[in-house]
Amino acid sequence: MDLTPRSPDAVAAALARASRDGLTVDPRGGGTKSRRGLPGSAGTVLSTAGLTRVVDHAPGDMTLTVEAGLPVAEVAALTARDGQWWPQAEERPGATVGGVLAAAASARGRLRHGPVRDSLLEVVLATGDGRLVKGGGRTVKGVAGYDLPRLVCGSLGTLGVIVQVTLKLWPRPAESGWYCAEATAAEAAALAARVMAETYRPASVVLTPQALWVALEGAAADVAPPAGMAASEAPPGLAGAGIVECGVPPARLADLVAGLAADGRDYEAWAGVGTCLVAVATAGDVAAVRERALALDGHAQVVDGPPGLRADPFGPPPPGLAIMRRLKRAFDPAGVMSPGRFVGDVQEVAA
Amino acid sequence: MSTTLPAPAALAAGFRAILGPDRVLDGAVERDLYSRDGLVTDGDCALVLLPETAAEVSGCLREAARLGLAVVPRGSGTGLTGAAVPLEGGVVVSLARMRRIGEVDVANGCVWVEPGVLNLDVSAAVAHLGLHYAPDPSSQAACSIGGNVGTNAGGPHCLAAGVTVQHVLGMEIVLPDGEVLVLGGPAPDPPGYDLRGVVVGAEGTVGVVTRVCLRLSPLPPAVRTVLLDFATTAEAGSTVGGIIAAGVVPAAIEMMDTGMIVAVEAFTHAGLPTDAAAVVLVEVDGSPAQVEAQMAVVERVAREQGVRQVRVARDEAERALLWKARKSAFGAVARIRPNSYLHDCVVPRTRLVEVLHEIQRIGREHDLLIVNVFHAGDGNLHPLIAYDRRDPEEVARVLAAGDAIVELCLSVGGVLSGEHGIGIEKRDAMALAFSPTDLAAQACVRAAFDPAGRMNPGKVLPAGSRCGEAALAGREVHVPDGAWI
Ligand SMILES: Cc1cc2nc3c(=O)[nH]c(=O)nc-3n(C[C@H](O)[C@H](O)[C@H](O)COP(=O)(O)OP(=O)(O)OC[C@H]3O[C@@H](n4cnc5c(N)ncnc54)[C@H](O)[C@@H]3O)c2cc1C
Repeated sequence: MDLTPRSPDAVAAALARASRDGLTVDPRGGGTKSRRGLPGSAGTVLSTAGLTRVVDHAPGDMTLTVEAGLPVAEVAALTARDGQWWPQAEERPGATVGGVLAAAASARGRLRHGPVRDSLLEVVLATGDGRLVKGGGRTVKGVAGYDLPRLVCGSLGTLGVIVQVTLKLWPRPAESGWYCAEATAAEAAALAARVMAETYRPASVVLTPQALWVALEGAAADVAPPAGMAASEAPPGLAGAGIVECGVPPARLADLVAGLAADGRDYEAWAGVGTCLVAVATAGDVAAVRERALALDGHAQVVDGPPGLRADPFGPPPPGLAIMRRLKRAFDPAGVMSPGRFVGDVQEVAA
Repeated sequence: MSTTLPAPAALAAGFRAILGPDRVLDGAVERDLYSRDGLVTDGDCALVLLPETAAEVSGCLREAARLGLAVVPRGSGTGLTGAAVPLEGGVVVSLARMRRIGEVDVANGCVWVEPGVLNLDVSAAVAHLGLHYAPDPSSQAACSIGGNVGTNAGGPHCLAAGVTVQHVLGMEIVLPDGEVLVLGGPAPDPPGYDLRGVVVGAEGTVGVVTRVCLRLSPLPPAVRTVLLDFATTAEAGSTVGGIIAAGVVPAAIEMMDTGMIVAVEAFTHAGLPTDAAAVVLVEVDGSPAQVEAQMAVVERVAREQGVRQVRVARDEAERALLWKARKSAFGAVARIRPNSYLHDCVVPRTRLVEVLHEIQRIGREHDLLIVNVFHAGDGNLHPLIAYDRRDPEEVARVLAAGDAIVELCLSVGGVLSGEHGIGIEKRDAMALAFSPTDLAAQACVRAAFDPAGRMNPGKVLPAGSRCGEAALAGREVHVPDGAWI
């Protein structure tokens, strides 16, 4: 049975029912992040496709309030009319606003624009037990009460369904451009260090096994090819049976990339940020990549892949697990929301 | 005056065993001193504890738990909402002695500091590396990083750079039961919920922060600062909106009204136009080309709106003078009346002018002098009411005017606070901004960190906000095999 509620109230009602009847629910936006978490625990799919209203668009205040099922591409089209954009959101075909926020999926421009959780001003969450809870505030700045928006961002549908959000918008840059230079992994790392030192706030500095890619934004005079680089398209997306997302301190990224290159892997590494996407084909690959990330004070999660790659998608659990469990229990007392989405070591759970 | 009772010696004994005799203060004078912050309200402090390490903090929290005492973390006590005021005889844990700045991690663009470090000292410690710590509250010479984390502090340069939470990569926190956790750090997006993000702005109600990993930003290669002088508030307001509408988000856009200009000029002699209805201080930074382009837009918009004078700071000294004028507003007003009550709320930027006029009306209605200096770029208002605390009748009018300002901001779609937080001051107003269901959910967030409710009780949430019984008393979450949550 699938559900496509047409309003925030209808989402809440559906979740209240699910909690009463003990039916597990998986919220789904565009489905671009659905191959995630422990396989086999999926329940009823609750689609946000019926939640696409634009509630309030205030370009002068640089805010946009929309329902969570609105595609990210439509936000881009809507805000472009006023020369604005939502630069922190990853743009994948089909991705929705709620899905991007639930997965905390930041755009490649994170080096300049920060993570997507910085852009969420207000959230309305339908909790697992069917309450509609609002947190944050609609203005571009505000510190009223506990930061529910940050808690919900990245919660992967385990606390409830994001039904409505207010986003902080920014003016589009006057100019922007991508540049590329073919390079071995080692050359790319050296070139990246030079670009980072010589360029004030580049938008992205991306390393792949065969090249370095740089995105610049701003005044026309600042958007010119760095030495040794030529104008190009954006780098192609990473392809693989599965994708592991590593996060390491930015200073350790060069070491991570050197190791991945030595292992012959395909990757996309974000210099200055510390995020590295790695293509994987087997459970052994996942373990090997994770070992490298952990050794560099980082972590590694399977963010996309078939069930066979997701036996242990998250690795060791993070500090504060007891607090996280209490939060989960408070928002989803019957435990119906996306069970198995935050997955870790069996031993830890038993302990 | 607070009505502090003598602390039973027995209360202090356990803490003295941890901190030694000198770092547990139980004298009436000290307890009185630590029973207030920048708000008018006094509290009731049982003991003042001065730990120097996370281990000592942990020991103190265990002892407080054993005794069933409330715990109030305190930085520099410059908060304006009573968030650091101990109610009901709690112990105050002052972090003022934890002032070490760790080795600057240039490669990762961050530094771990202890919570008692003053905001300005961080930027001073890293300036020689071409770096700075971006959030710059006007109180930055006095307020602590721990307090900034507690309140999610902002400042003039947070318009483009973002507030404290965007510059805190991680922290070490001691939970009320004494457990020490490290949340976040330089690696991006650690798995699990963003607990780090919840701790920032929680006003000391979830634990005591004992170390903070701060993101450091490169100093911009070019900066330009300009003072715009307007004959009407409407022109000033339209200029602020026009700059943003033209696609420029400057590093800072600050505004002062006549009353404030006059007070500040008498105090700082910065050459502000005392006959202006409003001045707007704009700073743009970035690459030289960007600064050039943005400054051209700022000047064009200001001229379109009829600016009387455009004063570009010629050198660093003049720039510093203009900023000094801006940041000494509070001190300047102290020369007019002995006390002042600094408000903080945010309205949609497009409603600024109309709200400023309404605030003046509120001032006249309550027969009070209200002056304004504020972060215009993000609609963050700071009406400042000058008064005399010794006159109870005037105090009553000040409080009534404050309530009227809060209602005004909310009525135009604003929020309760932009950067000072809720504390005691706006605790009851939370019920105007949030439904009982929303407040119950917030109570759950707090309870997840502090199930016993001993961390800084009586702050942020209005009395009666409770995490639903069903929620926390409910059965264990169903966790599938192999799952954390
Ligand atoms: C003249 C003046 C100008 C100001 N300008 C600004 C401004 O521009 N922007 C702005 O945001 N604020 C401003 N403020 C308000 C104030 O300075 C800030 O709120 C500041 O962040 C408080 O820091 P503090 O060290 O004084 O904290 P305190 O007042 O001691 O505490 C503030 C809160 O943080 C908690 N806390 C403190 N340390 C810790 C810790 N280690 N762990 C956990 N919780 C802790 C406390 O319990 C309390 O809830 C101004 C105040 C004054 C007097």
